[in-house]
Amino acid sequence: MTAANRSPWQRLLKIPTAVLGLAVIAAICLVALLSAFGVELTPFAYDQTSSDYLAAPSWLHPMGTDELGRDLLARIIYGARLSIAIGLTTALTAFLIGSVYGAIAGFSSPKVDALMMRGVDIAYSLPDLLVMILIGVVMGRGTFGILIALGLVSWMGTARLVRSQFLTLKNEEFIEAAYAQGQSNLNVILKHLLPNALGPIIVALTFTVPSAILSESTLSFIGLGLSPPACSWGTLASDGWRSLRAHPHLIFFPSLFIFITVLSFNFLGDGLRDALDPRTRLGKGK
Amino acid sequence: MFSLIIRRILMSIPVLLIVASLTFALVRIVPGGPFDSEKSLPPEIVANLNAKYHLDKPVHEQYFLYIGRLCRGDLGVSYKYVNRTVNDILFDAFPVSCQLGIVALGLAVIFGVPLGAIAALNRGKRQDVLAMFLSTMGVSLPGFVIGAVLIYVFAIKLRILPVGLWESPWHVILPAVTLAFSPGAYLARLTRASVLEVVEKDWVRTARSKGLSEEKTIVRHILRNSLMPVVTVLGPLTAIVITGSFVVEYIFAIPGMGRFFITAVMNRDYDLILGTTMVFAVLLIVANMFVDIVYQWLDPRLRME
Amino acid sequence: MGVNKAALRKSNRPAKDDRFLISFVKLFLAEPGCKASQGWVVSRLPLYMAPLFLLFLAPTLLTACGDNAINSSGSPLALRKPYEDKVLRINLGTEPPGLDWHTSTDSTSFDVVSNLMVGLTQYTNDLEVKPSCAASWDVLDGGRRYLFHLRDGVTWTDGKPVTAYDFEFAWRRLLKPETAAQYAFFLYDIEGARDFNTGKIRDFSKVGLKAIDAKTFEVKLSKPAAYFIYLTAFCPTFPQRKDIVEQFGDRWTEPEHLVTNGPFKLAKWQHEYKIELDANEKFFEGRPALSKIKMFMVPEASTAFALYENNELDFVDNRSFSTPDVERYRSSPEYRNFPLLRAYYLAFNVSKKPFDDVRVRKAFAMAINRNVFPKILRRGERPTNSWIPPALGGDGCGLSFDVAAARRLLSEAGFPGGKGFPETKLLYPNREDVRLVVEATQDELKRNLGVKIDLVNQEWKVYLATTRKDPPQMFRDSWGADFPDPETFMNLFTTFNGNNHTRWHSQDYDNLIEQAEGEQDKEKRKALYQKADVMLCRDAVPIVPAYLATQNIMVKPWVKGIAVNPLDFQFFKTVEVGESNK
Repeated sequence: MTAANRSPWQRLLKIPTAVLGLAVIAAICLVALLSAFGVELTPFAYDQTSSDYLAAPSWLHPMGTDELGRDLLARIIYGARLSIAIGLTTALTAFLIGSVYGAIAGFSSPKVDALMMRGVDIAYSLPDLLVMILIGVVMGRGTFGILIALGLVSWMGTARLVRSQFLTLKNEEFIEAAYAQGQSNLNVILKHLLPNALGPIIVALTFTVPSAILSESTLSFIGLGLSPPACSWGTLASDGWRSLRAHPHLIFFPSLFIFITVLSFNFLGDGLRDALDPRTRLGKGK
Repeated sequence: MFSLIIRRILMSIPVLLIVASLTFALVRIVPGGPFDSEKSLPPEIVANLNAKYHLDKPVHEQYFLYIGRLCRGDLGVSYKYVNRTVNDILFDAFPVSCQLGIVALGLAVIFGVPLGAIAALNRGKRQDVLAMFLSTMGVSLPGFVIGAVLIYVFAIKLRILPVGLWESPWHVILPAVTLAFSPGAYLARLTRASVLEVVEKDWVRTARSKGLSEEKTIVRHILRNSLMPVVTVLGPLTAIVITGSFVVEYIFAIPGMGRFFITAVMNRDYDLILGTTMVFAVLLIVANMFVDIVYQWLDPRLRME
Repeated sequence: MGVNKAALRKSNRPAKDDRFLISFVKLFLAEPGCKASQGWVVSRLPLYMAPLFLLFLAPTLLTACGDNAINSSGSPLALRKPYEDKVLRINLGTEPPGLDWHTSTDSTSFDVVSNLMVGLTQYTNDLEVKPSCAASWDVLDGGRRYLFHLRDGVTWTDGKPVTAYDFEFAWRRLLKPETAAQYAFFLYDIEGARDFNTGKIRDFSKVGLKAIDAKTFEVKLSKPAAYFIYLTAFCPTFPQRKDIVEQFGDRWTEPEHLVTNGPFKLAKWQHEYKIELDANEKFFEGRPALSKIKMFMVPEASTAFALYENNELDFVDNRSFSTPDVERYRSSPEYRNFPLLRAYYLAFNVSKKPFDDVRVRKAFAMAINRNVFPKILRRGERPTNSWIPPALGGDGCGLSFDVAAARRLLSEAGFPGGKGFPETKLLYPNREDVRLVVEATQDELKRNLGVKIDLVNQEWKVYLATTRKDPPQMFRDSWGADFPDPETFMNLFTTFNGNNHTRWHSQDYDNLIEQAEGEQDKEKRKALYQKADVMLCRDAVPIVPAYLATQNIMVKPWVKGIAVNPLDFQFFKTVEVGESNK
């Protein structure tokens, strides 16, 4: 009972992997924020070229330099803010649109549900690239355009998931009990359905973050990425992968940072799932 | 069951119509046309080209022409690949992507689902951490990096598998593995979360306390019930994987249809964009129909409704 | 509650179909009934997964120590014979959009067609025009009339002779509005051709084209055009067979129907994958040394290059390697580098501020150090400051790199040290090499002029539409020659050229170009073009020429006779592959 009485936050801090994940994410966010506010963390600016083309890692350039002689460490630090922003914004957009849409569908009558799911089918069937080019044209090809575009093409999965969770949970006895107590629909959704469905949704969201980071790198791969000299880890990876044999540092470091970030998000997501799970919170059972 | 299928098929007709119309509208809103090229053409020649492909008619007329042809199963002609119809192009390319996709999907399920289940059943132990590590790698490395590393290791250094091209069964291995990485990792993570969810359920505890053997508990109670979310994503995943991946087909030089999702849009090859979209939409609908059927089989509660 | 109980009952009922699954799960359990974590597969899981993991990560780490690529390993694939006798395996990069040489427009299609077909004339490797189907020709009426005399013994692959009527049919088809051929404008110098193509006249007898008899082909031009003879060596003007085209309609270019007259014939076409050409025994210059050419379509350069390294391709060029690959082989005897007639430039939209001021344009042109481009692109590009390439008589007359003068001009224009310079956008299509060039340009301008410009990338077709309709102040563009004459470059910036997106025009410039087109004397012509070049790159400066591209090739030691010409046509009729060449 004592464990159950703690707040979710306290229980999150009891899980070592979650703490590790949180710490790494916090560190990356801190670095990103510092660089966004103009604190110089490296002796080089991210867009400062030199004649030291494609230098291998050294004390001066711990991660080497790129084709224009720019310090890769400085670019990785600069890339952190865009990658994190892209990951979080996309996940947030997907979560907001997806869970509202999915919740309505899962909670409504079967007819409305079927209709709304056909809407998801339609959204799924539209070519992502077409939608993204269109948004790019409307919003301009800046960072903001990419954020919106990625958000708009990635909410469908969350919607499906939320709906299927709601469908399963709708018939659980504790929902019936809540209705029996005379609670309103909204109340039931917010207080009972959503918290119970949160586990898989959070796991799915910890996937949206990396998949957004990766989608952005695929966009650069096909030539529709961010406007230089802005860069993200995704664009760095897609610019560098052909150098796997000649200049491996160009692909190794960006990949490494995407990996670490994604791993941290996964650890954190898992921890959150446990900390938020109402079943464990209520002390194993009802 | 049968009536469900009929109902879904009837419902899918308006869906397909809306997809076709929306795509039609989108391709024409996007700036740039099929005949824009680096060396711009005299206006007279552009006029000849537009006339040849009926692009000089008002948009609504083009639309009805297109929908009419679509109903007859004719997906139109390619503007980029002169003299080839969209039906021809997709007929050549789809089987290739489908073969590759099925192998990749098989790999993803065979490795992903057990990995996730093992991780969940050994929660917090090193197996779990390792599985997490692997699945994180699967989702955090872009496909082109995975492909490049696999080519480097197996084709260039070890020389045991071909670099690319589409000649023999050996040529399927590397692209299929590359393609399987991300869905496999995704399935592993999803299975893990879902199994963890189910393990805590009352009926599992009941089953265990009844003295049911461990493996029977796992199969009859845990696996079966935790497969629902997996099946949910498997539907659209199948449609996505068997219609091919641009990155994998591009890197391994495979003549599949995944590339058209990108190149057709890049070339503003209007009919080809619509054609690939329609094929994808149909597959998606069929896949989701299967999902619904499997749902009913997996979850007795839905069957009873 | 009731529902749940029912569910429990149902799922408890033993089902036959889960036996397989149960036995599968047993794999993971050492003894029936024990906890999953003790299963033998499970407990050894780290052991199984660790090598997998290492396998994946290790090479990335290992390669960090550098990779000497030019080594041969003794593994099984390497033991195989590295080539096929008399077979050349190359990479086309992409599917040729079509093999109808009237409707296709791209270099990939022409790479195939130029090995299948010959026209009235053909290029030597030094880009001189020499007779081919035509044994000789007369230039009459001060360059207004051409009379081609066809060679005897030139036949199609089905044995029929190539006649002047085949040329008449082909050129007529090229001009017919219904064909909608993009390269129809090539023939616009012919009397009545433009009107016929645009549908203004329907009567073909008014067009200055005629097969006088089976061996004589007559062409009348509306004005003298010194470059006209070059056009007869270019794919769109090759002959076609009326019977074949009419009989098979849209499918006449498929291998089973196509009839050609060149060194090779089309044997097989697997769309999006491979084209196979077989030697044409009836070729009038004699059977080529190769018996087969396999043209693969590998879009990704680094994959194509890995295929080359693994001896699955015999010859690769620019489209088959990424820049890091070139670097590793720069000193290899297999590597060669040729200049191309393809120029890259930065353009100003002179109708937009502040680039309506010529001083600003000149300042920019002098502030960009073009020597940077080859260093970052690393393919042996040649920096240039004039628009006519040196190979066509260009003499580097443009503004050269001079930071002090550039700064002075900029402050004269009202922006000392770049202060108060309006927001400026540089538009470019997002392609790898272009990205590096514009990033370097951005950096040069910031460092040398104190001007910060914004880079805007657009997807290729959007970029094309934007440059045509309303380009921003600056954009990046390029131009590849259609024929080896300054005309192809200089005509670009005349008032009515559809590819002149700078909004700059000058009556004097137009007059100079028109004068040069009609001039029959070689030296005088050259001088006229050079005068125009000075106007373009020194006085008015609507563009900043940046560099000329090069073709980089790698050829395996068992291949002989590969040559590259500056127009980037690749002819394989003299290539040999085999033991004797090793």
